[in-house]
Parts: sequence; C-alpha cells; structure tokens
Amino acid sequence: MKRYDLIIVGAGPSGLSAAVEAAKRGIQVVVFDENEKPGGQLFKQIHKFFGSKEHKAKIRGFRIGEDLLKEASECGVEVVLNATVIGLYLEKEVTVRIGDAVEHYKGDAIIVASGASENMVTFDGWTLPGVIGAGAAQTMMNLHGVKPGRKILMLGSGNVGLVVSFQLLQCGCDVVALVDAAPHIGGYGVHAAKVARTGVPFYLSHTIVKAEGEDRVTGVRIAEVDDKFQFIPGTEKHFEVDTICLAVGLSPMSQLLKMAGCKMEDNPKKGGQVPICDEMGRTSVEGVFVAGDVSGIEEASSAMIEGRIAGITAAEYLGYMDSIESGQRVKGHEEALEGLRQGMFAPKNRGKKIETTDEGIQISENLLKRGYIADDEIGRYPGIRQAAGVHPVMECTQNIPCNPCQDACPKGCISIGENITSLPIAVEGAECVGCGMCVASCSGQAIFLVDEQAGDGYASVTMPYEFLPLPEVGARGKGLGRDGRPVCEAEVLKVQTAKAFDQTHLLTVKVPVYMAMKARFFVAD
Amino acid sequence: MCKINDRSRNIGQYIPAPDDDMIICRCEEVTKGEIRRAVHAGLYTITEIRRYLRAGMGLCQGQTCAKLVKGIVAKELGVSPAELEPAGSRAPMRPIEMEVFGNERAQGR
Repeated sequence: MKRYDLIIVGAGPSGLSAAVEAAKRGIQVVVFDENEKPGGQLFKQIHKFFGSKEHKAKIRGFRIGEDLLKEASECGVEVVLNATVIGLYLEKEVTVRIGDAVEHYKGDAIIVASGASENMVTFDGWTLPGVIGAGAAQTMMNLHGVKPGRKILMLGSGNVGLVVSFQLLQCGCDVVALVDAAPHIGGYGVHAAKVARTGVPFYLSHTIVKAEGEDRVTGVRIAEVDDKFQFIPGTEKHFEVDTICLAVGLSPMSQLLKMAGCKMEDNPKKGGQVPICDEMGRTSVEGVFVAGDVSGIEEASSAMIEGRIAGITAAEYLGYMDSIESGQRVKGHEEALEGLRQGMFAPKNRGKKIETTDEGIQISENLLKRGYIADDEIGRYPGIRQAAGVHPVMECTQNIPCNPCQDACPKGCISIGENITSLPIAVEGAECVGCGMCVASCSGQAIFLVDEQAGDGYASVTMPYEFLPLPEVGARGKGLGRDGRPVCEAEVLKVQTAKAFDQTHLLTVKVPVYMAMKARFFVAD
Repeated sequence: MCKINDRSRNIGQYIPAPDDDMIICRCEEVTKGEIRRAVHAGLYTITEIRRYLRAGMGLCQGQTCAKLVKGIVAKELGVSPAELEPAGSRAPMRPIEMEVFGNERAQGR
C-alpha cells in the first residue's frame, strides 16, 4: 500500500488550496479527482468574482483556477485525475478507482474536499430529457462548448440561477423566463439586474406546474404560488421551450466522511448532511479534515480560503509546523473569510428579508421582485449623482462584500471606505476622465459612465458589454431600460476593448438627453 | 430519533394523491405513491425504504433522489427531514464495474 503524508479528495478550489499550503511545508501530498480536468467548478466560472483584492475580486473564475493549478504544480503537488475515491476506511485507508483497478493508499492525514451536487425538484414531467441542472448547462457551455438548448426557462433565482442565465444569454440562448417559488430574488441584485436589462422576465412566487412533451421537453407551464407554496388557480402561464434549467440549491457530497465514521449532522443552513467540524476543518475523527462545500454550501472564494486553513491545520497535525506558527498563518485567512461572510447575503442572514441597507436606504422592492431597480427608485442610492460632463453612475444598491471599483478609479471618483460591504459613493468634486476602468472592474456590471451633455441635444451612456459579436460603431438600435424594455433610439458611438478590461467591452451609445439615466442596454436593429 | 422509530405512532391513513405516479428515483423507477404507501405500511426509515423499494439503490446511488425521498418520507411521518437518519454510506461511493471492483491492487501505483 502506497503511503502519503496527506491525501486530498477533490482537486477543486478548496482541495487545491489545501494542497498548496501543505506542499509549501514540504509535505508529500497527493490529490485525487474523479474528473478528467482539475479545478472543480472554477473552470466553469467565466464571470468576474466579487470580493476585495485578497479574494481575487474582478478576476474571472477560470483564471483563478489557472493560477491555482500553476501554484500547485510549482509547489510539487501531485494531482491524479480520472481517479475516483470510492472508500475511506479506518486508519485513513483510501481506495481509489484508477483505470481498470482499485488501488489502496494510506494517508497520515486526509482532507476531504469533495464538493457538492445539484438538487432537483419534482414536477409533472421532470424526468423528460431537456430538464437539466444549471450546473450541467454550465458544463456543456463553458467546458465543452455545447449550447444546452435554444429556448430555456430557468428555475431558481439564487446566484447560480442568475449567473447561469446570463451565461446562457452570452451563449446565444433565448432565456424565456426566470422563475422562483420564493417571493424574492435569492441572489445578488446586480446579477439579477444584468439579466433583467436584456429583457428576461422574472416570475417570483411562481413555480413549474408541468414540463410538456412526449419524449423531450417542448414546453413548460408555470403558475403563481401562495405563501404556503400552493398553486393559485387561474395564474398559469405557458412557454414554448426545449430546455428547463434547475438551479434549486446544492447538497454537500459528504458520504465519504460518514463512511469514515465522522460525526454528522443534518443542517439545512449548510445544505444538508455535513460533518460536524470546527472552524479549522477538523472533524470528529482525528487526522480527517474538511474544506469547501462538503462542509457547508458557500461559494468558490470562501472554499479557497477554507482549503488554505485546512492545509495549514493538517500541516500542524502532521508535525510540520508548531501551533504558534499555524495560529499566525491561519489568522490572516480567517480575517479574509470573515470579510467574505459580511453583508446582506452573509450565511447568517440566509433566508432573512432585509429591508434597508446598512446606510439606512430602502432596498428596491422592484429589484427583489422583478430583477431591476425602477426609474423612481434609483436616485436614492449614493452611487447615483447628476453632474456636468462624463461621470460614473454606480447602480450598486445592496451591501455585498466587494470593492474593486474603489481602486479602479485613478481619480478617486468612487469611494467605498474601510467597510467592504458599504455601497459605493460618487465622490463630489472628483474629476472623471472617462477611462472606463470602473465600468470594466465591476463584477456586477453595475457601473455606467454617463455624460448628459455629450453633444448637441444628446447624452452618452457607456455600458459594460459581454456579448458577441460586438456592435460596430455607427450601428443603430434601441436603448433598453433597466427593465429590458426599449425606451429610445440609440446609436453606437464607441466600442472599447482593452487588455485591462479583461473581456468586458465598453459600449458607448448616444441616447436622447432625458434617457441618460434610463437607458442601460443596447440591442442593434 | 425515538419519535421516528415508534411504530405504534398513528400517522394516519394513506390517502392517494394525484401525483402518486410521479417517478422519484429515476434509476430504479420508484414512484412517489410507492414511497408513500411504504411509509404507511410501516417502513419509517430511509434504510428500510431503500431495501424494500430500491429507491436510491441504482446507478447514481441516490445522488439525485436521496433528498427527495427523505422529504416524502418525512412529510408522511409529520417530521422534519433533518430528523431522519440518511441511508448508510459504504464503498464503493461511485458506480463501478464488477471486473474493476474485483481488481484490487494493494501496492498503489
């Protein structure tokens, strides 16, 4: 039986991060992953991440994955792919399916970072081909370059549902509706807003009645539900679709830990069956640690930090570090993790409806119900300022841990301050040069450059644009409001693409002056 | 847990529902009605349901339906799904061909 100091199950964000921390201390570490490519979910994440610099904010997920893989290989981490861990036994013996055989390994310590699987919901016709998980849609699009369907209905308005809906639009699919049984959108408002402004309708307090079709999905019926989630008669709506995407949460894949004899709990706040563990990732079985979604559903940024902490803790357990050093090293990571677990969407606020921001400003009810901020609501947020000349407009209205815009502006036009979850403020007196760095830096695509006196009787609006093909300068079309409805004629004045913008293109369109604070998207005629 | 294992507890009659023929476990084609009837026949734990109906015993080993089955059983029993002990976890954790499972290599690579 081959022996390793440390065996890690899963080469996703948390597993690889743990491996890096352990390998840096000279520990002999192997990572097994059942997939043919390492990186777990990171390589499906083509959007820019939230957070601060230390959380790798405004970097796209797959690039974070590339960096992590590079770091792991530089540290001498051994990653074995197409290697499925099928058993975890007493004395930390691990059985792995590799090729046509089952191999036995023994680790002095084990970190289980096996991630999560997608939940399903049942409705009439849910087993028809064409009903797929949102994660499956993401795998098809972003890993294999396959369009999941032509006309798609998304069920679930959490960040996964919102982000994948946007990616489906980028892929050229027609997203006919975004549906959720909950009365309010579960994910970030900025993610919802960038989907809504392209014209996708949101149906909150609605769920699927039936997926129609004989041998595949050909349509779907939804209906409104009351506060007890019972269908309200007479509220049915029908859509012609070929695909239904389900984004209804994740469950930890914790079976290996249960098998290893770890004390488990069923914790709905963490997504289901999870091992009982401390904040260092120690389970009830000595030498068996956990990190990432398997210990409670969060997201990739926190999984990477949890992985680092588990790696350091395992190093201490193995005697490669004393408790003083590990304590010091863990401290910085704990602070970073704490930073991510702040704001309205923090784990502690899960399921709570928050009415006002930390600044005491009322949250937009339209944003929570329809995915966009109404024209008469937008003025109350501190990122909105009417000014002469070109200036940034930050339509960021919820307290989320994210601040790249503040550093992006070379002229100090945007201020968030010490508290990473504060809303960005448009600074009085600072002079915008119209460079667009803020627009491209905003992971939520919520910053626009507006010039109300751009020319003779017209205004210009510069918006983030992540669709191909890019419109040409001079192209005419419609300006769409935040609600995705056409509000005016528009003409493309400028299309900017730069390495520093990292694939977010800046589209400047000409609109009537009175539409400067209303037009937020462009579609060519 | 005691509350769940108390077989003398009256959980009421099985009442047919319109969605009873909906498939819950796709691998083994077990319907919602079969699961509900099994609970009323006295099978109160997930392990019993699995052994009796094979729900969650197929190719995906309950990866998709475990949570759904748990929800249905809990509802019939009138308890929270969190109170139900999930099925046992044992190797192999993933579907595997017998010829591979039988081909053990003790030496590692």
